[in-house]
Amino acid sequence: MFAYIVRRMLQSVIVLLVVGLVAFSMFRFVGDPIDNMLGQERTQADIDRLRTELGLDQPIPVQYYKFLKEAVQGNFGVSYRQGRPVSTIIAERAPATLELAFVSGFLAITMGIALGVFTAIRRQGVAANIIMTVSLIGVSLPTFLIGILLIYIFSVELDLLPSFGRGETVMIGNWSTGFLTTSGLKALILPAITLGLYQMTLIMRLVRSEMLEVLRADYVRFARARGLSDRVINFRHALKNTMVPVITITGLQLGSIIAFAIITETVFQWPGVGLLFINAIQFVDIPVMAAYLMLISVMFVTINLIVDLLYYAIDPRLRVDARAT
Amino acid sequence: MILRNSAIGIAMLATTSVQAADFKWASTTDPQTMDPHAVNSAPVLGFLNNVYEGLVRRDKDMSVQPALAVSWEPIGEGDGWRFKLREGVTFHDGSTFDAQDVLFSYQRASGEAADTRSWFAPVSEVIVVDDYTVDIMTTAPNPLFPSSIANWMIMDQGWTEANDAAVPDKEAGNFATINANGTGAFKVTEREPGLKTVLEPHEGWWGDVEHNITRAEFNPIQNPATAVAALLSGDVDMINPVPIQDVARLQEDGDVEVIQGIEARVIMLGFDHEAETLKYTDDAGKPNPFRDPRVRKAVAQAVNVDAILATIMRGNAEAASQLVSPAMSGYSSAHAERPAFDVEAAKALLAEAGYADGFSFGLKCPNDRYLNDEAVCQAVVSMLAQIGITAELDAMPVRNYWPELREDNYDMYLLGWSPGTFDAEHPVRFLVATPNEEKKLGSWNFGGFSNARVDELLPAIQSELDQTKRQAMLDEVTQIIQDEQVYVPMYVQPLVWGTRSNIELTQRPDNFFLLRWVTVN
Repeated sequence: MFAYIVRRMLQSVIVLLVVGLVAFSMFRFVGDPIDNMLGQERTQADIDRLRTELGLDQPIPVQYYKFLKEAVQGNFGVSYRQGRPVSTIIAERAPATLELAFVSGFLAITMGIALGVFTAIRRQGVAANIIMTVSLIGVSLPTFLIGILLIYIFSVELDLLPSFGRGETVMIGNWSTGFLTTSGLKALILPAITLGLYQMTLIMRLVRSEMLEVLRADYVRFARARGLSDRVINFRHALKNTMVPVITITGLQLGSIIAFAIITETVFQWPGVGLLFINAIQFVDIPVMAAYLMLISVMFVTINLIVDLLYYAIDPRLRVDARAT
Repeated sequence: MILRNSAIGIAMLATTSVQAADFKWASTTDPQTMDPHAVNSAPVLGFLNNVYEGLVRRDKDMSVQPALAVSWEPIGEGDGWRFKLREGVTFHDGSTFDAQDVLFSYQRASGEAADTRSWFAPVSEVIVVDDYTVDIMTTAPNPLFPSSIANWMIMDQGWTEANDAAVPDKEAGNFATINANGTGAFKVTEREPGLKTVLEPHEGWWGDVEHNITRAEFNPIQNPATAVAALLSGDVDMINPVPIQDVARLQEDGDVEVIQGIEARVIMLGFDHEAETLKYTDDAGKPNPFRDPRVRKAVAQAVNVDAILATIMRGNAEAASQLVSPAMSGYSSAHAERPAFDVEAAKALLAEAGYADGFSFGLKCPNDRYLNDEAVCQAVVSMLAQIGITAELDAMPVRNYWPELREDNYDMYLLGWSPGTFDAEHPVRFLVATPNEEKKLGSWNFGGFSNARVDELLPAIQSELDQTKRQAMLDEVTQIIQDEQVYVPMYVQPLVWGTRSNIELTQRPDNFFLLRWVTVN
């Protein structure tokens, strides 16, 4: 068990290092930050001076090594654009992304399961067919378009919800939350739907097909023969057994909700880390880009690590294999 | 909207319809700092013009008017300028403004760490004569100096030093990066970089209040479609810019208005004047045809600017004949004619230069710097094809573009230039003068054009006090630039702002938006 964990951890560290190296070798193709930092009346001497100050004149492995050395001490450098520590900026922006991810994840799971069960039980019904057709839109339309569409319907035409931003926020310690104000809650609705729609459709279709499968199973037929009510059969027996793959998928999708947030955040001008990353690319703000990419890869690696460890705990076969080697 | 529930408020309502109001606006770029000396860029200086003030400021028509200085006069025979300062001016924190603050702001804005340093290249010394008189000495006579410092903003010495911000810090930031303490009509009350900035009127402002804003909020919105939606839904009162393709649709909407004007920026094509050979396409390695003025002229005649303006700019821009727009001082009205669009004449010029069979070359173009820049380049490519020369277009984001130009990786390129001083001397200094690192000349003259007469005239233009003589020299330079066809100026970029229809404001040609000219009806 211990050896397995250690091996897994080591692999994770290697993945992180490789991601960082790839990121750093990409940065020079993203562009040159110097022109963004200096005004129109700069001279070649100014350009050279700034490049030396920022260490951009050094080879990429050296830049990467310096970044790593600082990063392991929790120092991600100073943003070229804002002139403030990257860790402070990310800490300011993270609550917005996490709250959005949480709400859209919650929406995706509850709505996805509810609609999945509904369409499975009433599989011939008109409503179920409409939902299935509409859900196709959810998977096929790009997030960007859905966001703009929702804005035009709900803020421009109906004037019900704000078109951009996060509304009023309240600070609880270092955490800015939009949950406690009306404008904050209203501002959450459209971005959360936009972000969660794809996952919701995915979960719904998964639940539906699993449920259809289970409803044909012998134990469900036996339950029916015992004269149990539809309610008990559908929810206690069938649904419970469809949840295993759903939980696996949901866990893996959690990471992509946060990563996909980039597009949603850009459309809604949502002040989270995704928007920060897009701004950083436009400005070639290398410290912010590096920190964001490392953070996202740490997140994915951690999720995968946890999933692997859970499998290890759940699946006895892995343990047998480990002992055999 | 907040109505002032007081006798004065009601009296005001009775006489005029002006009432106190909230105002929200959005733009694509967040000013990256609140420090007026750290970054010399339009988004920063434009925003901070609401908060900080200089000795002089620009009026609605760009003319220079007194601000923190009440008057100024030349010293001796062009030795410098004496500024009489305004008395009774207070900073937002209540401290008083005097000559020491001017001296301090000079030292701060001209120091090694300041991005605004180049403005003070002509200055030799700043002398405090008394509390409200300052002499700014120049190394050579400098008639345009007062108008060249309209964006030099005065900071309070006490506040800046007490907060450890005596030197601007672009790389690591300091107190003045997020906080501001100016003398301007508005003070920053809340600043969340990249999210929002809240401004409120400065109660002790010295000027006459023309606006009726009680609170103004700025939000950066990067996505143009979101910005348009925010304006249409009334979430913001003003956006800058409006995407060109949305102009017609917004004009039809009764709740919003589109305000259009001409920006100071001229969009032009540039050439490599130095390279012996072409660098791109199958003709790479062959002699560089653009060294021949006849070929450059042929390009100028082949580009149908009117067609570009009608289709790509949808009638929102004006053709340009020289490197500055007619709104700038020093514009040469004697040279307002641009080469006529004439395919046959262009072909004849090419044949004369020995390129009757045409040639192919590489055109570099940004795709996110100017309005519809890539589309303009594509149009240029197809227009040049009509005279038999084939351009291979390479469009890229601006963050990759400038390094390419600096490395001379182009045969022809697209450039936009907005003269920071609003004078015709500016593009000559940066785009036409022979590059000279030491004298800080020609720093954007990527093609390396060089003309002895221009280099000779430039210092004379910079120090000439007589307006007529100065204009004569500028006319001569413009003549040379046109004869040599150093660049192909195409058009002046349009300014397109959108507002709710209850908003009145002033659009200045430098694309600066000033809250003190806003009325919310």
